[in-house]
Amino acid sequence: MESNPVLNVDALVVGGGIAGLQAAIDLADQNFKVAVVEKDASIGGKMIRLSKVFPTLDCSSCITTPKMAAAAHHENITILTYCNLNSLKRDGNHLMASIIQKPRYVDPEKCIGCRRCEYDCPVYVSDEEQGGFSARKAVYIPFSNAIPQIAIVDTEHCMLCGKCEKACPTSAIDYFQKPIYFTIKAKTAVLATGFELTTLEDKPQYGLGKIPNVIDALQMERLLAPHGPYNRVLRPLDGMEPDSVAYVQCAGSRDKSMGVSYCSRVCCMYAIKQAMLLSGSLPLADITIYYMDIRAFGKGYEQFYQNAKAMGIEFVKAKVAALDAGENGSVTVRYEAQDGVGVTMANHDLVVLSLGMIPGWNPKGVCPVSSASDKFIKTIQPKISPTLTDMDGVFTAGAAAGPKDIVDTITEAGAAAMEASKYLIELQKGHAA
Amino acid sequence: MNREDEIMNKKKEAMKQLRGDRKEWITMASTMVKEQRKERKAIKKYLENQPATVPEIADATGIPSDKVLWYLATLKKYGDIVEGEKDGSFFRYVLTESAPE
Repeated sequence: MESNPVLNVDALVVGGGIAGLQAAIDLADQNFKVAVVEKDASIGGKMIRLSKVFPTLDCSSCITTPKMAAAAHHENITILTYCNLNSLKRDGNHLMASIIQKPRYVDPEKCIGCRRCEYDCPVYVSDEEQGGFSARKAVYIPFSNAIPQIAIVDTEHCMLCGKCEKACPTSAIDYFQKPIYFTIKAKTAVLATGFELTTLEDKPQYGLGKIPNVIDALQMERLLAPHGPYNRVLRPLDGMEPDSVAYVQCAGSRDKSMGVSYCSRVCCMYAIKQAMLLSGSLPLADITIYYMDIRAFGKGYEQFYQNAKAMGIEFVKAKVAALDAGENGSVTVRYEAQDGVGVTMANHDLVVLSLGMIPGWNPKGVCPVSSASDKFIKTIQPKISPTLTDMDGVFTAGAAAGPKDIVDTITEAGAAAMEASKYLIELQKGHAA
Repeated sequence: MNREDEIMNKKKEAMKQLRGDRKEWITMASTMVKEQRKERKAIKKYLENQPATVPEIADATGIPSDKVLWYLATLKKYGDIVEGEKDGSFFRYVLTESAPE
C-alpha cells in the first residue's frame, strides 16, 4: 500500500485566522519552517469577515489582508487551505498530523481567479459569507479578498452543466478531483482554532431564528462592510432602510439555559462599535442597546463607550425577556425597565442579537489535548503561561482557549509563538547534547 | 479512432458515471435552477418597464419580499442591476443595459 506523502516542518499551526497567522509569522520570522492548516477555502478567519474593529475603527479587511499576504508569501510558511485535521498525535519527539485536503474540483495551479466560471454558472446558492443575504454561484471564489484566489465547485449544488468548464480560460475545472491525504510531521504545534457564534435558532424567547429582521452580530458586520450584500444597511425582509435598530446584549452568553454561562467578553464592545458605525451610515436612525452591564475592559474601551453615549446611542439597562414579530416587519422587544416602569415593550425595524462565542473546534477523538468545562481548550497555567496546554509541545492562542478580542488574540499568538520557539530550541539543544 | 477522439470518449463515459453518482444532487440543483430562472425572469421583466422598490416587485410578481431582495442583491453583484434613487425608506433598482435575458 502506498503511504501518504509527508510534509516535514518545525511547527504546525492549526487554524488560519488572525491568531494562527500571527503565530505562524512570528515563528517563520525566527527561521522556523511552519505549516498552517485551515478548514476554510481562504485564510483570514473571522477577522477578514468583519467591517471595522474597535476601538480604533480601522477597516478590518485593510489590516487583516496584509497579515494574510505576509503569511501566504513568507518563504518559511506553507499555507494549506480547505483541509480537515483528522488526527494530531505525539510520536516520540514528533507530532504527526493526518490531514485531508478536500477537493475544490479546480486545479489550483491553473486557476487564475478570474471568476469567469462564477459569472457563467446558472446556479444561485445562499452565500454564508454574506450572512445569507445574497447568493454566490455553485462555482465561486469565497470572497473578494480571499487568499488564495482559487475557485471551488460546490458539488451539492452543481448540475454538471459544463458552463464553468467552457468559460475557464485556463482549463482549470476538474470535475474528477479527489481528496488529498497527507501527513505533517512537526516538532511543535499551535492550536488557533477560533470560535463560532451560538446560533439564532437556540433560544425560543428570541424566536428561534424565525422572526423576520432579527439578525446576529456577524450578519450585521456584513451589512456594515464595504463589500456587503447590499452595500448599505437595509432590512433583510423588504429592503427598507431602518429608522430604528436595537441590540440585545447577552443574547447567547451569561445564559445557563443555553449552556453558555460565561461572558463572551467582546459583545459589549462590538455592539457599541456597530452602533457607532450605524450612526454614521444611518444618521437619522434611533439606535438602542439593551444591556445587563457594559464590560469595557480594554485600553481605550471605556472612552469608546462614553463616545457612543455622547453620539446619542441609547443604552437601556434591561435583560430582554422576549422578541415577537410586530407590524410591517418590525420587531417587538419586551423587557423589564430598571427605572420602575416595569414590563415595557418597544418596536424596532431591525434587531441584532449579540450572540455568545463557543469553541470553533472540539479536539475529542482528534487530538489528546483537554478541553476545559467551558469546552474551550484547557490551559494549564492560565495566569502565568496562558498558552500552555496539557499536551507537551502543543500550545494554544486566541479564541481557541476562550472568548477574547483581537488585541488579546494577537498578543497571545505572539506568546504562543515564543513558547513554541523556546520548545524548538530546547529540542535542538537536547539533540546536540 | 484517433487519440483525441479516444480521450473525448473516455471523458464522456467518466462524466456519465459522475452524473449517475451525483444524480440526487443534480436533480435537486436542476429543480432549484428552474425555479430561480422563473423568478429572476419575472423580476427582470418587471424592471424592464420601470425602476422599482422591493415591495413593488414583490407585489407585482408574488415573490416574497425577502427573496426579491436576495435576488436583487445577487443581480447587483453580478452587474445585472444597479441601485437607483431613494423613494421614502426604500431604494429603487434599475436594470442595466448589459443585463442578459
